[in-house]
Amino acid sequence: MENTDFTPGAPDGYQVKLEAFEGPLDLLLFLIRKKKIDIHDIPIAVITREYLDYLNHKDRINLDREAEFLFMAALLIYIKSQFLLPREQPLTDGEDPRKPLVDRLLDFQKIKAACVLLKEREDEQLQVWRRTAPPPLPASAEDAPDLIEVSLFDLAESFFAILKKREYDHTKVMRGKDISLEDKMKEIITLLQQRSFIDFLEYLEAQESLEEALIAFFCLLELIKSHIVIAVQEQLFRTIKVWLRKDAPRMKAS
Amino acid sequence: MREHLKEIVEALVFITVEPLTAAKIKSVVEDAAEDEIKQALDELAAAYEAGDRGIHLVSTAGGWQFATKSAYDPQVRRLLQIERKSRLSRAALETLSIVAYHQPVTQAEVNALRSVADSSFTLHTLLQKKLIKIAGRKKAPGTPLIYKTSEDFLIYFGLNDLSELPSQEEIAKILEQENNLET
Repeated sequence: MENTDFTPGAPDGYQVKLEAFEGPLDLLLFLIRKKKIDIHDIPIAVITREYLDYLNHKDRINLDREAEFLFMAALLIYIKSQFLLPREQPLTDGEDPRKPLVDRLLDFQKIKAACVLLKEREDEQLQVWRRTAPPPLPASAEDAPDLIEVSLFDLAESFFAILKKREYDHTKVMRGKDISLEDKMKEIITLLQQRSFIDFLEYLEAQESLEEALIAFFCLLELIKSHIVIAVQEQLFRTIKVWLRKDAPRMKAS
Repeated sequence: MREHLKEIVEALVFITVEPLTAAKIKSVVEDAAEDEIKQALDELAAAYEAGDRGIHLVSTAGGWQFATKSAYDPQVRRLLQIERKSRLSRAALETLSIVAYHQPVTQAEVNALRSVADSSFTLHTLLQKKLIKIAGRKKAPGTPLIYKTSEDFLIYFGLNDLSELPSQEEIAKILEQENNLET
């Protein structure tokens, strides 16, 4: 946290840390106010002494910013020298060595006042909340960037839900065709190439037997593991969709 | 006025995240004049403001958006589990207001106005937060980058456009108040 507080009129006077000043102009303005100096008629000697006094407190110096503060000190002394050095012609009314600095101070004062007003607005707006979720995207197999990639546990949970459902309706065991993991994998990939995505749950449910569903599930895990497909869920509690990865290593479909 | 225009407008603003402009609505609702759409938006905003609602329709960055009313900030934060939104640091705010009032500006100009040696870190932070943007390069020695405030800047401060920045009069008033405090 940045310490920007200095409390005027606190019991032990002004407690100022140099970090509280964003820059030398900030410090100058502070001193001008503290000494109740008219900004248009700054007694350079007084302000320079005050300024240097601040810099002399080593503990108040932030080394990173030292150069900036010292530069300002040099500028103040230079301005003072302009008054002291004899001139061939006296200064005219419009010609005041302090003017460039005063202009900068006035500009800076305005910026600080603008900051006060903007800060008020910021505080106001911080209490206001707006929607940040992206709106639904046009459905496309290619760009589905904001979907949640599902974890193994999501997949397993869905699978066991199906298993449970099938416990009852699957009663007779038929000695049917033997399905190899490899064949099933090829089937899934072929399907994906045709349809861009498959609904994982639908697909498992459509399997003829429990055994086949189980194999399909293992295939899916294997395909995810080898980065050939990606399983995503549009939203919590929604169905899980399986897409072919665009960057998938080439696979030959039968 | 076209039938159900107010409801259509409400639905469209509801589904959009960015502030939705009347022109954009018009591109969807072809048979309504832009004036009618603007009127519908105004009426809708007034209805939200008047009714006992937790959200209201706010116009920001030239478009319209739903936002929660500030009174319900504590509850929203509790729901989202966000302790508090982070504020801009003093340096960031100072730099941002320089960009806002003096844009387009270069880094050198920002440095001079702040009387600091190097504002690049702060400018970088503001760029990252998307509150300012790079608006090209200045045709000057070194062709330095020039910065402007972004649309997110307007949204962040709840402004419709840059003319809604605190005016010179308001700034003068602040300065006067500060001077009065001292005397």
